[in-house]
Amino acid sequence: MYLSTQRLPWIIKYRPKHVDEVVDQDEAKEKLLEWLKSWEKAPPSKKAILLHGPAGCGKTSLVEAVAKTYGYELFEMNASDSRRKEDIERLAKAASQTSGLRARRKIILLDEVDGLDPKSDVGGVESLIEVIKNTRNPIIMTANNPYREHLRPLRELSEVIAMNRLRETDVVRVLTRICGAEKLDCDTEALKEIAKRSEGDLRSAINDLEAAAALNKKVTLETVKAISTYRDRTHAPWEALRKLFSARFVFQAREAITSTDLTPEEFKTWVNEHIPSWYDDPYEVWRAYEALSRADQYFGRIVKTQNWDLLSYALDMMGPGVAFARTKYKGKFVAFKMPERIKLLAETKRSREYREALAEHLASRLLTSKANVKSDFIPYLRVIFTNNPKYAAKIAQSYKLPEELVTWLAGPKAKDVLAYMKKTKK
Amino acid sequence: MYFMSELLWAEKYRPRSLDEVVNQKEIVDRLKRFISERNVPHMLFAGPPGTGKTTVAHAMAHDLYGENYRQYMLELNASDERKIEVIRTKVKEFARSRVVGEVPFKIVLLDEADNMTADAQQALRRLMELYSANTRFILTANYPSKIIEPIQSRCAVFRFTALKREDVVSRLMYICQSEKVNCVERALEVIYDLSEGDMRRAINILQAAAALGDVTEDIVYKVVGLAHPREVREMLQLALSGNFMEARKKLRDLMINYGLSGVDIVKQVHREIFNPEVKIPDDLKVMIADYAGEIQYRLVEGADDEIQLNAFLARLALMGRRLKV
Repeated sequence: MYLSTQRLPWIIKYRPKHVDEVVDQDEAKEKLLEWLKSWEKAPPSKKAILLHGPAGCGKTSLVEAVAKTYGYELFEMNASDSRRKEDIERLAKAASQTSGLRARRKIILLDEVDGLDPKSDVGGVESLIEVIKNTRNPIIMTANNPYREHLRPLRELSEVIAMNRLRETDVVRVLTRICGAEKLDCDTEALKEIAKRSEGDLRSAINDLEAAAALNKKVTLETVKAISTYRDRTHAPWEALRKLFSARFVFQAREAITSTDLTPEEFKTWVNEHIPSWYDDPYEVWRAYEALSRADQYFGRIVKTQNWDLLSYALDMMGPGVAFARTKYKGKFVAFKMPERIKLLAETKRSREYREALAEHLASRLLTSKANVKSDFIPYLRVIFTNNPKYAAKIAQSYKLPEELVTWLAGPKAKDVLAYMKKTKK
Repeated sequence: MYFMSELLWAEKYRPRSLDEVVNQKEIVDRLKRFISERNVPHMLFAGPPGTGKTTVAHAMAHDLYGENYRQYMLELNASDERKIEVIRTKVKEFARSRVVGEVPFKIVLLDEADNMTADAQQALRRLMELYSANTRFILTANYPSKIIEPIQSRCAVFRFTALKREDVVSRLMYICQSEKVNCVERALEVIYDLSEGDMRRAINILQAAAALGDVTEDIVYKVVGLAHPREVREMLQLALSGNFMEARKKLRDLMINYGLSGVDIVKQVHREIFNPEVKIPDDLKVMIADYAGEIQYRLVEGADDEIQLNAFLARLALMGRRLKV
């Protein structure tokens, strides 16, 4: 028993066993507990949580600690272990059934959902959505990067909770505690160096400490420098944006755009959103947008011609092009929020689809092109539908307009028009 | 009497047969002769929008084949089906089946043919030759000069002229009387002015105005104002006054609420800058138009709507500042 404990890697051995041992992340903790508490009466409106943050910030540990502290049974599944649709369905569905009267309450933990590959895990996200909709137990998903486009449906369905990179001082605190428990002689300077190199990734810090201790019972700055290297880290989108806008050299600006888990095209949306958050001089705003616009053009050409050679130019314009739009270097702090557009994308797309569908629906009856219906009929139909619901209802009936198109046309008056349609049908 | 349904007047008051067509008298007379001889050539109907080209084509087919004429007619729209392969396949399918009845040919109506590229038109010309044994083509075009000569020479060309003020006004008046709508004649004149002789647009304005109440000048102006979102102009003015963030917000509204695409918006901005009500120095108008063209090109090439439009607005904000609009 004693032996087996000794052989455990430290990152498992020193996992927090109680919520209070989880360092930092007070906000995430509070939100998570509040949400779990809301389950006691009835399932809340958002039946899943998407817990996201950089690697090693303690997402899984937090969930495990919560389960231990409050006596939940943890049903754990790593989404990237069994990615196939059938696996997810079987595992998660079984877990979503209510447990017997005496059984312990359950939390379903789906780790690393961003590991789902939109191409090879066909139906993975879809089946997860089904599972969430039907679950009777709280579901917690973790992800490094929740902003991938294919995760959008999961994001919309979940309460999204962010966790931050740990502060250096917090990392040092945990390392000091482990040193004490392992009876090691550790230099404070050495621990600080490990913490610095970990960039807030506690897991890698503990691994480094373990490696240094294996070399020598006394952990010094020299041993640390010898064994630990800076890791290639991925950054959260907002971190990458800060890197980009405050880059002093071309290579930094270029690195910034490839340092996230996002594809360059996905990151483009973040840059698009935040050019005016960083720049305030109209000249700089325009220069930056012009550069982004050129990058965007290259992306379009790549898609069209499949000529991936052009990617390099796109990245030049999106990185250095945007960063060096400035006329003077400014160091400053800006809080970068998630782009509005990612939230609105679905809505914009739907609106355009409705317009297209309506044009398609009417073009043949009106003996004209779809383009013409859009330019000459739809604007006037909108006037009628938003101003005279009764009359609009009659027109809608003659042309058998489906409900969603009526709703789109009538906007704020949709309810009235639909009510009249029901009345006349009877 | 309680009407359960209501048609769009552009459909309801469309002439069904050539006898009901009140304008374009010469054209109608010539077409009637073709019908009585059961001999129709390939034809090109050219003229401005809303002058009755498509309507006349349908009326003629109706008079040739009777009520179920649409089964003898293939309707294609060049601006919706840009690919010549699509057109070729459809024509091939359609021409393959034999004609039954007393008319020995079927009709292919290709609307807005001037939207086809010259290459596509060459392919079209071959199609016309290939299937001329049992099909006749009717092409419509706003700009006949954009139709290649080999096609023009194979067609009997009919030039539709813009409708006269009195024709449009009397037609609108007739509709008002049939629909029992109160209207002021001056309001109908305004509709004519606003619709630039386009009957379809005139009727649409009339119907929307009637939906709001009695058709008066004020109502007509109100309808046209409502139909063409002021947001585009507001967005333009916000950007030119240097308020990029607000302009960007308007842009999003336009895309979400109206379902407009990037190209739609660029085109509307282009129209707005030459609107006399929008006060912009002339040299600035030219610069904006130039950049609008560039942005539209980038969009057509496959670039992203929002990024390109943001670049456009950022440029406008910069221009506005320099010229102090």
